[in-house]
Amino acid sequence: MDELFSLFINSVFIGNILLAYFLGMCSFIAVSKKIQTASGLGFAVIFVLAITTPLNWLIYHGLLAPGALSWMGLPDIDLSFLKYITFIAVIAALVQAVEMIIDKFSPVLYASLGVFLPLIAVNCAILGTSLFMVERNYTFIESIIFGTGSGTGWMLAIVSMAAIRKKLAYADVPKSLDGFGMTMIVAGLMAMTFMMFSGITL
Amino acid sequence: MSNETTQYKEILFKGIWRENPVAYQVLGICSALAVTVKMSTAIVMSLALTLVTAFSSMIISSMRNKIPSNIRIIAELAVIASMVIVTDEILQAFFYDISKQLSIFVGLIITNCIVLGRAEAFALANNPLDSFVDGIANGLGYSLVLIAVAFIRELLGAGEFLGFPVIPAFIYDAGYQNMGLMLLAPGAFFIIGLLVWLKNSISGSKK
Amino acid sequence: MSDNNFDKNSKKNVIQFALMLSVICSLLITGAASGLKNLQQENIKLDKKANILKAANLINKKPSKTEILRLYNEHIKEGMVNQKGEPAKIEADDTLHLYYYHTNNVIDGYILPINTKGLWGKIRGYLAFENDGQTVSGFSVFSHSETPGLGGEIENAWFRKNFKGKKILNSQDKFVSVGIAKGKVKNLPKNLQDHYVDGISGATLTGKYLSEGIKATLTRYEPLSISFRQKEMKTLEK
Repeated sequence: MDELFSLFINSVFIGNILLAYFLGMCSFIAVSKKIQTASGLGFAVIFVLAITTPLNWLIYHGLLAPGALSWMGLPDIDLSFLKYITFIAVIAALVQAVEMIIDKFSPVLYASLGVFLPLIAVNCAILGTSLFMVERNYTFIESIIFGTGSGTGWMLAIVSMAAIRKKLAYADVPKSLDGFGMTMIVAGLMAMTFMMFSGITL
Repeated sequence: MSNETTQYKEILFKGIWRENPVAYQVLGICSALAVTVKMSTAIVMSLALTLVTAFSSMIISSMRNKIPSNIRIIAELAVIASMVIVTDEILQAFFYDISKQLSIFVGLIITNCIVLGRAEAFALANNPLDSFVDGIANGLGYSLVLIAVAFIRELLGAGEFLGFPVIPAFIYDAGYQNMGLMLLAPGAFFIIGLLVWLKNSISGSKK
Repeated sequence: MSDNNFDKNSKKNVIQFALMLSVICSLLITGAASGLKNLQQENIKLDKKANILKAANLINKKPSKTEILRLYNEHIKEGMVNQKGEPAKIEADDTLHLYYYHTNNVIDGYILPINTKGLWGKIRGYLAFENDGQTVSGFSVFSHSETPGLGGEIENAWFRKNFKGKKILNSQDKFVSVGIAKGKVKNLPKNLQDHYVDGISGATLTGKYLSEGIKATLTRYEPLSISFRQKEMKTLEK
């Protein structure tokens, strides 16, 4: 139980998927202008991650990993090279489903998220989390915790960035630095703050 | 003939500088920063991305009149994913050490906005050869930024260039120390922010 | 260029297109994967051998493939011991694996595989000892999932070379293992300095997990180390 809690906290803060591993930046920069859109997208990402990571775990360990097909009597087959294409298919399918759900229950949110919702499918953080899950050999439960943790960390970063950018609107940023350049520098400062968490032992 | 060369030059110039995918279009940052700790990984990553973008744009462009609209994105992803998987397999076979360091980031080329972005924005509306050139151009633009960031990070953070120590010992003896921050996440963010500021000051930013 | 009556959105075309694309992609991917598989496996084996040699300080930077194979074949022999530290001929469930480092069948040292949990995933490496059974001669990391720049520093030369010369027995001949300090070793009390290496700043947890893993592994191999200390292991048996 301790281990799982520690994994969760690590995924949110020390190994924050965005601020430490740089995944999920595209939408991060584009959507972090308004806090409401940012948190809406953040929740969607948490949801997608919490479901796709364990789902991909099942597919990987049940079908693709070396020796996974032994339940079918084919222990020598190694289909792990198919993981990229299978994971992304699962992610794209789930995002499509999430899109339809959001459209049904909150057309306002759907309208404000606009094109960014389908873009979750190509958000590197989603695919990246599944790939890390494979690389680090997590168990099923760990994959659920890791997925949720990564999503929470991503949302934390994007919402904080939106809040900071709102304040930045009143600052006198040089024209060439404004926009992307400034966001990067702020992200760097945020990354430094999150690194501070690595000194905490639980 | 000269019309075509000027056309290619135009595509190249746009992709590499004026509409640089990273600095201007703000695409493809994701994996960019993680592999720029060393120049060797940045160079291999840039090569991989450039080739994937060029070939997938070319293939998608050659199919552009046949792809049904409702499975367009999935079809594009399928082509891109296949190119990436083949690239990953080749890297593991011929450049094992580097592929170990690149770990999951080669796979993440699939979700790299540049590849999909160029497929949607260019390949669907232009012929295969132009699309190939456009892919190379944007790939080179991406490489430019990546290698520049990696050069600075490796130099300041480890005192090395392509793995070779270049800062003479007497400078270390005088008290200079490697800037460890450059090897970590914040360093990457700062460098790229400053580089983009520089680039936009020279060539004007998107407004 | 426009085909007459060709509707790319027709149901027939969607299915035809999807099928064709799937077939071509599958062939391409599977072809590449199976065709290159042998080369890839070879690379992994070679990397393992290179790391074993690195731990024993037999190679430095960028050795060639032929050099790795030559050095490995000349100087390294795989071995097995049982729980009591005696050489084992048959592999059982509790057999411990290791590598002997020898010159002309005279044992110069032994190399133990380290496989411990890290902050994110497993850390796999090799810890090499001199034939006195208590002095570390080297350490190498073969694979890990630690954060680059933080825990990931364990694979870098500056961290690994500090292991050389450390002792796993203290001055009272008690087994204390070797660990990663929190901070610099020179800040520890003098009597502990031989049993720790400098920590990595910002990666305390990685250091902690690695220390625990090394201690657990060394405890399992203690009977073997004792035979070395008692000078019972001089030559490789035929």
